[in-house]
Amino acid sequence: MVFSSIAFIYFFLPAVLLIYYIAPLKLKNLILLVSGLFFYAWGEPIYVLIMILSTLVDYTAGRIIDRFDSKSSVRRAALALSILVNLGMLGVFKYSGFAAGIFGLEISALPLPIGISFYTFQSMSYTIDLYMRKIKVQKSFINFAAYVSLFPQIVAGPIVRYEDVQNEINSRKINIYLLGEGAGIFIKGLAKKVILANNIGLLWSEIKAMDYGNISAATAWLGILAFTFQIYYDFSGYSDMAVGLGKMLGFNFPENFNYPYISKSISEFWRRWHITLGSWFRSYVYIPLGGNRKGKFKTLRNLFIVWALTGLWHGASWNFVVWGLYFGFIIIAEKLWLGKWLEKLPTVFSTAYSFILVVIGWVLFDTDTIQNAFCYYKAMFFSGNFVDSLAVYEFKSYFIVFVLCIFGAGKWFSRLLEKCNRNITGTRIIENAAPVVQAGLLLICTAFLVDAGYNPFMYFRF
Amino acid sequence: MENRRKIKMAVIFMIIIFLFPLIFILSRKEKFSPEENRNLKEFPEVSPESILEKKFMEDFEAYLSDHFPARLEFIRTKMDMERLSGKDCINNIYITDDRLIEKLPKPDYDEVKRSVSAINNFAENYNTEVFISVVPTSAGIYQCDLGKFSPQINQHKFITDVYSELNSNITAIDVFNTLASASDEYIYYRNDHHWTSRGAYTAYKHIIPKLGFSAVDESLYDIEHVSDDFRGTFYSKCLYDGPKADIIDIYSCINGFSAQSVIMNDGLKNSESDDIYFREFLKKNDKYCVFLGNNRAFTDIRTNVDNGKEILIIKDSYANSFVPFLIQHYSRISLVDPRYVKGSIEDFADPNDYDQVLFLYNASTFSQDKNIKTLCRNCKFN
Repeated sequence: MVFSSIAFIYFFLPAVLLIYYIAPLKLKNLILLVSGLFFYAWGEPIYVLIMILSTLVDYTAGRIIDRFDSKSSVRRAALALSILVNLGMLGVFKYSGFAAGIFGLEISALPLPIGISFYTFQSMSYTIDLYMRKIKVQKSFINFAAYVSLFPQIVAGPIVRYEDVQNEINSRKINIYLLGEGAGIFIKGLAKKVILANNIGLLWSEIKAMDYGNISAATAWLGILAFTFQIYYDFSGYSDMAVGLGKMLGFNFPENFNYPYISKSISEFWRRWHITLGSWFRSYVYIPLGGNRKGKFKTLRNLFIVWALTGLWHGASWNFVVWGLYFGFIIIAEKLWLGKWLEKLPTVFSTAYSFILVVIGWVLFDTDTIQNAFCYYKAMFFSGNFVDSLAVYEFKSYFIVFVLCIFGAGKWFSRLLEKCNRNITGTRIIENAAPVVQAGLLLICTAFLVDAGYNPFMYFRF
Repeated sequence: MENRRKIKMAVIFMIIIFLFPLIFILSRKEKFSPEENRNLKEFPEVSPESILEKKFMEDFEAYLSDHFPARLEFIRTKMDMERLSGKDCINNIYITDDRLIEKLPKPDYDEVKRSVSAINNFAENYNTEVFISVVPTSAGIYQCDLGKFSPQINQHKFITDVYSELNSNITAIDVFNTLASASDEYIYYRNDHHWTSRGAYTAYKHIIPKLGFSAVDESLYDIEHVSDDFRGTFYSKCLYDGPKADIIDIYSCINGFSAQSVIMNDGLKNSESDDIYFREFLKKNDKYCVFLGNNRAFTDIRTNVDNGKEILIIKDSYANSFVPFLIQHYSRISLVDPRYVKGSIEDFADPNDYDQVLFLYNASTFSQDKNIKTLCRNCKFN
């Protein structure tokens, strides 16, 4: 099931909330587990078994690591088993076709289970942290399984580490304030996805399907800018919805996006974009490899590994690897000398630098093959035809959506709210207006969902 | 303060997410949406297979949105928001001040090629005169109104390209300029994809001399307005009621010939009527069906013209409002709609029995059609 659907908002969610709120404390995690499995099975009626398998393995590995606290060989074996099973599943379902392709073989790849890259990473964080003695073991299977299958974050993140919710999974506050706050965040995310991402995405899906040899430079730029906003509002909208739903259930999930498009460097961009993924790779790959403490050569090597993996995590094909390495290169350049230089530039220029490089990166990300990406770059930079009537028409059709997207990507709105909140009248206005505005947004989103048009799920490759 | 806001939010949120499902569960489920002219989803079948294949889930979600409370109001709200945001194309329908227009979809050139060669084979294979007319849709004639819209297929070029691939024993009749020069007249419906009776008559005046007759003058026709509140397929797609509703006219030739019997076959069974007009459809949503009723595989019309001339028309629904004008010229008019023919055309009619065969299509159907090529299954020259 996806959050941005009538079935979720008006049927699944009220049913779950009703049962969850009236159920006694002891049963709440069981209800989370059952609703999580139902939620997942709605979209993956067969692959839900894989998720259950992963849960069983990691729970058992966790118990073994805890039980044999003094026997390091047993602990190591249990951890190895957990990592092997999780990465093995990722390998089989996500990377087998790609890997076989490298060796010139063609195998019919299995369909990818939704969210597999999210939940395997989440439950691996548990066994690894337990091995590192950073967290306490979870003895209750239901509590652990409820964590893995927690429906708000299961299909598209944020990557919630066990560490983040280890206290809340055992006991947490549930109250009407959290419900209200969560509802607000959920609606904000829903509006980002349904009103902004889906609408601007329509433009990209139209341009993406064209023959790149025949489009004007303006059309190409308009198309990739549309995708730039689509993926941001879609992905961060999903994360907001997850955070909001978490709050309704009493969980505080980590922040996943923090105005990435106003970054002043690529390094900063990746500290603001999909934050939980970056921090996962930092904690479990970059630092264990030695991070930046083992000399220049090893630092460079580690950065390369992390960025190739980051790319590959987004999808099993070369364009994603190149996309990851592209950012790896830029970040290395920034670490070596570019960063100091950027700091001296006026903000306008450094923000533009970062934004344009990110936009150029999105071409690699979403045109499916490296060849297509280069055709697209040709249209963006070397098209003899600057503007055509199509570009003018599309610009006119999407002008307002673009303005809203640009406005929302910056901090203008939150600054405005802050200013209002500074005096009593402003606070009072917000107190009364916010719920009305949010209710209105929910109804508008409902209107867009009832007339089921373009409402893609973008993370099927992750 | 902050907490008061959160409580308000919580209450409003819970009211909204509980109210709609409650109304949904209590309300009666309609089977048909006349505004959109389509059947609404019924509750899907539950079975292990349908669940494992996710068909149940997909159908269930469609069922939910099809019967959601205040559904049409929500859809209209969405359209209004889209128009406010500067879009003038909603669900592929372009909104102009005067009319709704559907842009010609990108032709499926491979299929078009197959259709053309099937028609060529057809003409080789059967011993009869073959004619073709591919008629522009309103998007072709009102292209200028679409000037500010995104680039589109040039329909006249599409039509002449098709004609240039036809063998010389086929007479291609180009009505584009005829219709274009009548663009000030009411030749296309404003809210539906068909041409009006006047549009069909305009084309008829151009086509009928090629078929060997002289056109009956308009003054000899009695024009009856049978409906003035027709909103057809374009409206159903975008639910925008800005343009005026459409008028449907029936042309009856004063003291002329008339249809004696209409035999219809939907591929399963025959039925019969004594009129080519089906006025019961005027009470329904899809009022264009007043012309020859619903689309079907085969229609056979006998008239009281006694010249013994017989014509076979292979066609889409554009022909339905064109046929009334042929009644004055032929003893027998047979219509085959290949989209509804399961087997071969010869199950219904042998083209060799007819003096003339006319392929009559609008450019939109012709550009996408996958059925014309099956006509010539039994042809020698395949």
